[in-house]
Amino acid sequence: MSDSADTQAARAAIELRPTRTRNLAFAAVVALSIALLAGFIVLAVGMVLARGLPNLWAGLSSPEIRFAIRLSLLTSLASTSLCVAIGVPVAYGMSRLHMRGKGIVTALLDIPLALPPIVAGVALLLLFGTTSAGQWLADMGLKLVFTVQGIVLAQFFVNIPYMLRVMRGTFDDVDPRLEFVARTLGCSRPQAFFRVTLPLAKNGLIAAAIITWARALGEFGAALMLAGATRLKTETLPVSLYLNMGVGDLELALAAASILILISLVSLFVFEALGGSPMVLSRTKGGRT
Amino acid sequence: MIELRHVEKRLGTFHLRDIKLSVENGEYFILLGATGTGKTVLLETIAGMHKLDRGDMLYNGEDLTPLSPEERGVGFVYQDYALFPHLTLAQNIAFGLRLREKDKGRRRDEVHEIAALFGIDHLLGRRPASLSGGEQQRAAIARALIVKPRILLLDEPLSALDPRSKESFRRELRRVHELLRPTVIHVTHDFNIAFGLADRIAVMHDGTVVQVGTPAEVFRHPTSQAVAEFVGMENILLGTVRRGEVHLGEGLVLSAVLDGRSAGEVSVAVRPEDVLLSREALDSSARNSFRGRMIHITHEGVMTRVTVDVGVPLVSLITTRSLEEYGLRVGDEIWATFKSASVHVI
Repeated sequence: MSDSADTQAARAAIELRPTRTRNLAFAAVVALSIALLAGFIVLAVGMVLARGLPNLWAGLSSPEIRFAIRLSLLTSLASTSLCVAIGVPVAYGMSRLHMRGKGIVTALLDIPLALPPIVAGVALLLLFGTTSAGQWLADMGLKLVFTVQGIVLAQFFVNIPYMLRVMRGTFDDVDPRLEFVARTLGCSRPQAFFRVTLPLAKNGLIAAAIITWARALGEFGAALMLAGATRLKTETLPVSLYLNMGVGDLELALAAASILILISLVSLFVFEALGGSPMVLSRTKGGRT
Repeated sequence: MIELRHVEKRLGTFHLRDIKLSVENGEYFILLGATGTGKTVLLETIAGMHKLDRGDMLYNGEDLTPLSPEERGVGFVYQDYALFPHLTLAQNIAFGLRLREKDKGRRRDEVHEIAALFGIDHLLGRRPASLSGGEQQRAAIARALIVKPRILLLDEPLSALDPRSKESFRRELRRVHELLRPTVIHVTHDFNIAFGLADRIAVMHDGTVVQVGTPAEVFRHPTSQAVAEFVGMENILLGTVRRGEVHLGEGLVLSAVLDGRSAGEVSVAVRPEDVLLSREALDSSARNSFRGRMIHITHEGVMTRVTVDVGVPLVSLITTRSLEEYGLRVGDEIWATFKSASVHVI
């Protein structure tokens, strides 16, 4: 107890030591990290744009890039439509239905998200290229291996989880009682869905379609496995970039890259403007509370 | 007539047990019960949102249970209105009509007519988000009534309104009911709403219906302690019936109007507003009159609640003005008096 006065004084000195310098240093580290990362991203993307944009007109006049743009637009629009057509009812069901094993089904539907795209492509290739079901489909006229249809399927398979996540979150936010009130007013289930729930989910649907479309444009790995990379046949913009980098035609490659970057930036902007949050894409949506 | 027979439904923490009800056509029927007794679940079950676990629901003898919500002809108004946020008020009100009336002009006329009835015809172009609670409530009821439902279900339609709008809206509900005569089942936890509005009320407790009657019957003659407490009977006393009188212990004997079946241990209730206070003993043999000491005073605006200890605590509700005029204070000796007819054996 005799030294307690000294100890207390020492402790008080520690407690009162100015923390300003340390706080400033901490803030500086945080700010520097942000600046470094942002600078790194801008630099990397800017390099491509700086070298690609001057070649953009030349690229746009090349028949190969034109083919790639057309094929990319065609396949991405087709696969996005497919994602909407299948994703909307599935997301609606996952949001509204109370069923046993819903958690398991949700996890199953997310599998394509966890797979590396190239593995997803191998899976599709095995399913449609080596089984009798795939053979039967091919005989019926739906050839999926090394074809444009295959590109659409690969984009669909890889992107459907994104569609589901955004749409499920959107449907979760629409009060189910509104649908119930619509039904007491005489609507059948489909009428209540199309007149109440779907209009209220409009923004989410547009956001989901845009993000799905933007990702479909950039889809490479799965499509490469299933549809191959054949010049002027299955040559989408990313495939064009890959092929031209391979043969050292940097100008055409960077033109394709620049187009992809511009489309991505615009769609990201529109997606966020519609109230979609990039968080949706990385977060597993919990069950309804 | 809508009839519920032995209805059972378990949903989450709610458990509706053996519900028996019948509501006459054109009747204004109030379901009264504390929050959490499953009243909303019962309404949603009548409307077809949930399947019954057991029991029957009949409308004029027709079985409702296999019908989907759109086939039942019920109107549903939620406590928070549940208007369609993407539609204007006119489109909201016309929502159900669009499926029935193809003629646009006639539809518009009907929407205007019912909106005028509720005094919201000047708001028809607005969206729900820009309207007050009372306006949204009126629109929600108009939307339900315009398709002439067989039954109108109202879930706490007044609870979200401030006291003044509550009173005026209550009168409006009564007026509209007298005009259009829909069969109404209205759910509330507030007994005071029932007066002047309900033809009959059913009191729910613990997932089942414990008493059905006119508001006056339920108020004057609650059949159980739970109902008595719920409708605001404060002086609930335990006693024993002997020779036509109720003995409370402590030497207190109540004179009461007893029917033959009251015997042995009973609970009796006296409404606080039936208990009069006076400085001197009131001279009448037909009255219960007890001398006691004032132990507690609670001001409630115009009225004041006074607790008098006469051996048991007895609550009296008097006007604040008379309290002040007589200069009553805690500790004063006072007489508490009530008629035999005010003693309700429950």
